[in-house]
Amino acid sequence: MSENLPIIGISMGDPAGVGPEIIAKALGRPRVREICRPVVVGSADVMRAAGMIVGARLAVREIPSVDQATFAHDAMEVIPADPIPMAQVQIGKVSAAAGRAAFEAVRKVIELAMRRQIDATVTVPIHKEALALAGCPYPGHTEIFGELTGARDVAMMLAANGLRVVHVSTHVSLREACDRVTADRVYKTIELAHDACRELGIQQPKIGVAGLNPHASDGGLFGDEERVHIIPAVERARQQGMNVSGPFPPDTFFAMAIGGAWDVCVAMYHDQGHIPVKIKGFRFDATKGAWSSINGINVSLGLPIIRTSVDHGTAFDQAGHGTASDESLVEAIDYAARMARHRRNR
Amino acid sequence: MSYRPTIAITMGDPAGIGPEVIVKALADPILRHRARYIIYGMNELLAYAADLAEFDVFWWRDQSNGRLRSYPHDVVVVDYDQYSVLGSAIRAPSRIGGQASMRFCLDAIEAANLNIVDAVVTAPIAKESWKLAGYGYPGHTELFADRTNSRRFAMMFAGGPLKVVLATVHVPLNSLWGRLNIGAVFTPIELLHRALVDWFDIPAPHIAVAGLNPHASENGQFGDEEERIITPAIMMAREQGINVTGPYPPDTVFLQARDGRFDAVVAMYHDQGLIPVKLLAFDQAVNLTIGLPIIRTSPDHGTAFDLVGRNKANPGSMRAAIDMAINLAIKRRLRQNASAGASRPR
Repeated sequence: MSENLPIIGISMGDPAGVGPEIIAKALGRPRVREICRPVVVGSADVMRAAGMIVGARLAVREIPSVDQATFAHDAMEVIPADPIPMAQVQIGKVSAAAGRAAFEAVRKVIELAMRRQIDATVTVPIHKEALALAGCPYPGHTEIFGELTGARDVAMMLAANGLRVVHVSTHVSLREACDRVTADRVYKTIELAHDACRELGIQQPKIGVAGLNPHASDGGLFGDEERVHIIPAVERARQQGMNVSGPFPPDTFFAMAIGGAWDVCVAMYHDQGHIPVKIKGFRFDATKGAWSSINGINVSLGLPIIRTSVDHGTAFDQAGHGTASDESLVEAIDYAARMARHRRNR
Repeated sequence: MSYRPTIAITMGDPAGIGPEVIVKALADPILRHRARYIIYGMNELLAYAADLAEFDVFWWRDQSNGRLRSYPHDVVVVDYDQYSVLGSAIRAPSRIGGQASMRFCLDAIEAANLNIVDAVVTAPIAKESWKLAGYGYPGHTELFADRTNSRRFAMMFAGGPLKVVLATVHVPLNSLWGRLNIGAVFTPIELLHRALVDWFDIPAPHIAVAGLNPHASENGQFGDEEERIITPAIMMAREQGINVTGPYPPDTVFLQARDGRFDAVVAMYHDQGLIPVKLLAFDQAVNLTIGLPIIRTSPDHGTAFDLVGRNKANPGSMRAAIDMAINLAIKRRLRQNASAGASRPR
């Protein structure tokens, strides 16, 4: 039975952040073992420390390759990438050594997926500054995956509590994001959103597209990107048989989406989509000054391999305390497993 | 019994849902008990809306004759029947609709300037109608500022757990760079601080300022407006003793305000502020212009031409706008009485 479960590789993230801790928590959950066979990619020493921080009852075992994995429920099996010893890691601090270890783990998990030794990849937070200090030329996961898998049209889907959003652009300045709203990019994003929903098992997904400007420019009163770029992209997608509508005024669009109007939303820029998803998925405890709930995951679209990830950051201030929630990681593993099953069944 | 203010209500675009939400909101006897009302609008459209909603007409009608006056009645409609060629069958912007809705506003502002009314609540206008009628104002806010000689003003939204002020309003997203400067960020911080103290009974408010770029640019990685514009504006406000912090990543600052970390947020652009407002306070958010010598509130929705004549419009936001106008009018009266008492010789 369990041999049919997809094998999921989880890269350990920045060892100074909360990544290793939430992995150690998630792998102790029976629910995770019911949906997949997990392996961790990174440093066994770091994972051992993380297990101790969160009080996980998992034996950490370093294995040389995936075919050596037993997937025992009481074990955390680690495939070494850059096996950085914990002595070199200062929890909660940006460092080149941690950045390098994080990057090597990502590179290794991609390699395993490209060689089909694992069915899907899941990533936990890495730190952009640490990556830069380590001389890694990419600002984040999305770019690393795009480059190392040779994918061209990539996008990111954000999901929390039933709301799914795909972005035309993500980590660029708002000014550059405006320039990226072109008919071609918008069309490709719609297409990626459509394909992603089909991979999740939605046969004829309903897609809603947001405008760029206030009130979707109100007939051209505030900007013309709707008329020049977004409407032609929507029409082209409709001609291709996709069930797509828009552009809608951005402010009411997401309220409608949460009401269930569409299976997936296309957002024009990072915060347009991230604000609603996080409002839906995040809770802050003002008396403790800390997050009490963090829900929300990323799915990379347009890659030859499956990749999902948690949507929060390294949370250096929380690292080392064992308090970070693994809720989001469990959901990311669930999405990866669903997509892997669906790909295999096609 | 506390002070019973007189509230002006402008009917907005005759082809929109203004008449319907006004009639539905004022059908509430509690709201009628708390204040007197002068509606600047058209009797036949209000009567038609009442008929559809199956309410008896509950107002006195006075023909508009160009002279503004007060009334002893609970609800009076100042009837501008010269615009009645319109009829409710037209559900679109029009020149005459623009002329009518502008006239209602101008007379209500004048009534407020003359102290005939204590506050003005505006039903939605269509910017397109104003444009057709030859008026260049992008919205009520700018018109009210102009007609009350106010040079420093800002648009605020209050609803449910969230209070938001916008640094820029009806600007194409790609033209923000001409508008966003230190003053444009500093002014709303200062006005918001005063509004929270004076109008919302928060004696020592904590204000958060959102960044412009994803992750508030993460130390300049995606844009420099945080460093160049927003941080200096925050420093200026702090020097004046205002408890304001930021810039925060836009995608989490609003939900942290919802959850009690901040009392209010300054948003950099329209949808950044309004996506959270509409998500967290749909049908109950109020738009309030701060910095004016007169009190002005309005519902946060538009004309909704597609809903007209179907008796389906939700009056929740209009009711909340009237309710807030009453509260603010009573507060202002109390303050005026207090200062009059203080300056009276013993």
